[in-house]
Amino acid sequence: MSTTLQAIRDSAWQAFEAAGLPTTRDEDWKYSDLTRISTLLGEQWWDVAAEGIVDATSFIIPDLDAYKVLFVNGCFDAEASELPETVNVTSLATLIQDEPEKTIELMQHQADAPFANGMTALNAAKATDGCCICVPANLKLDRPLHILHINSGGAVHLRTGITIGEHAGLEIIEHFAGDADVAGLTNSLTAIRLAAGARCEHYRLQLESGKQWHLGRVEVNQKADSSYTMHAVELGSALSRVDVVDDLKEPGAESELNGLFVLSGRQHVDHHTRVAHEAPHCRSRESYRTVLDGRSHAVFNGKVVVAKGAVKTDSAQSNANLLLSNRAEIDTKPELEIYNDDVKCAHGATVGQLDKNQLFYLKSRGLSEEEAKQLLTFAFADELLAKMKSKPVRRYIERAAFAKLPNLSGLEDMLT
Amino acid sequence: MIKIENLHVSVGGKEILKGINLEIGAGEVHAIMGPNGSGKSTLSNVIAGRDGYEVTKGSITYKGKDLLEMRPEERAWEGVFLAFQYPVEIPGVNNTYLLKAGVNARRKHQGEQELDAMEFMQLVKEKAKLVELDQSFLSRGVNEGFSGGEKKRNEIFQMAVLEPSLALLDETDSGLDIDALRIVAKGVNTLRAPDRSVVMVTHYQRLLDYIKPDVVHVLVDGQILKSGDASLALELEERGYDWVREEAAA
Repeated sequence: MSTTLQAIRDSAWQAFEAAGLPTTRDEDWKYSDLTRISTLLGEQWWDVAAEGIVDATSFIIPDLDAYKVLFVNGCFDAEASELPETVNVTSLATLIQDEPEKTIELMQHQADAPFANGMTALNAAKATDGCCICVPANLKLDRPLHILHINSGGAVHLRTGITIGEHAGLEIIEHFAGDADVAGLTNSLTAIRLAAGARCEHYRLQLESGKQWHLGRVEVNQKADSSYTMHAVELGSALSRVDVVDDLKEPGAESELNGLFVLSGRQHVDHHTRVAHEAPHCRSRESYRTVLDGRSHAVFNGKVVVAKGAVKTDSAQSNANLLLSNRAEIDTKPELEIYNDDVKCAHGATVGQLDKNQLFYLKSRGLSEEEAKQLLTFAFADELLAKMKSKPVRRYIERAAFAKLPNLSGLEDMLT
Repeated sequence: MIKIENLHVSVGGKEILKGINLEIGAGEVHAIMGPNGSGKSTLSNVIAGRDGYEVTKGSITYKGKDLLEMRPEERAWEGVFLAFQYPVEIPGVNNTYLLKAGVNARRKHQGEQELDAMEFMQLVKEKAKLVELDQSFLSRGVNEGFSGGEKKRNEIFQMAVLEPSLALLDETDSGLDIDALRIVAKGVNTLRAPDRSVVMVTHYQRLLDYIKPDVVHVLVDGQILKSGDASLALELEERGYDWVREEAAA
């Protein structure tokens, strides 16, 4: 290969300039308007540098015994990180300097379908840091890997590549945080490759400051009998758009995508997921829940595509939405595309308020109207969190979600 | 305990209860029997305070207070308990949590100290044993995935923990096999006390083999047409309800 990293970056930049930002005329982006970003961050919004002092200790997940990889405003902080010895974790910046040919591999991972949109191209052109993780075959990392990205209000482009070898296992917590009082942008792309029999438990926690914009993309490529579970949590940011693309390439691969949004004020969160069953005997489960208060707006678009030879596909998808306010809005669109007969596929979406019979039942046992409402709201969200295997992460998110819902005090006993 | 006078109730503009008069003294057990659609469940729901029932005339006085003025939770705090005919499933809300919140809300209302976790667990374990409810049910979601019989037993378990002054059992016996019926009856009989009253709404007399009522009322077409002692239930079982109608019309 004669190509250089610079050549890839140049062509990515050209692709971005040609494609521009997705607009609401594009069906996939019709609810999420990115054009306002230049008003927020200026003409050269992609290059805005972050300022301010960052205190990483305020974003610690209590009781989480994990390796730590810290990025502050898109730069790896080696001193504050604690890397494992058995698994190679290298920052992208180091890789660019020391082993540029490996970086090319990382940036080119999607060469067969280059740049899904302008944002992806921009990420390839601009990503200066992130991490590259290689789990060797037959190794299960003994502790989870906590990758903490703190953004204090700049434009940050992150690229993360994770390769999990045959029958290896990794639990990863990708945690986006910040408490800056100014607008900023996080543009993150994470590509995960699972070899045969590999397992990955992926927590993707978006708790950025309320002024932040968050653009994320997760690309998963699964070989035979591999298993991938994602828990996506959206609590922070003013606008967040995340695309999840999961390709089940070989027989026996399993995927589980869980998503929870708890939104208030004028928050806008949009997730587009696409699970592609490309081989027989694969299984996918998807469950998204949203709790919407104030004038918040959530978008869920979940697509499952079953390819021609992918017989014995087993797929189920559900999206349940709870509206706490008359002015909150949800646009949900589960989609199925099936190209063979021998499959089991289910999908459904519900939008609603709290159930009257459940409310009456709780009141008849002595709970006040307000308590009963809070309890049912919390239970609705918590049912999804119960799928999380990591107790510290579940506790952390429960408390953060809890704090966002009005007047939940007095229900602390409910927390795990 | 409770006095119902000339109670008229409509649902969606249709009159269901047409002048109910009923007085239940402390310590008494009453059975209200009647055919389907006679208004039995409407009566229990109105007493418990469910939405959607319009009281057009009459009054309900409970422990000297106007019951109809109270919110459902206030009724619970004052000791009214309804064992639901169709208990709802509430996934994600733990059984024990619900009961603890209920018990403590009532204690708070009555100016008593709230139970701590240890005291509460002790109470719950003791009561679960009484209705032979497996401990694993306690940590599950309210009625989540329970069979019909388990749901009914859970209602009686909740009743035993909440120790109400007035317990309304709405068709608690339907769908129960004989063993479950015996367990439910044991729960109710244990609760019987001079300061507690029980109202059983049913259309079978078999529950009354295990819980002996002081008074039996026959509710037909929204009115109590006849009241009597426990032998009336046997007579109804044998002869049906038509003769009561005819007798009342005569």
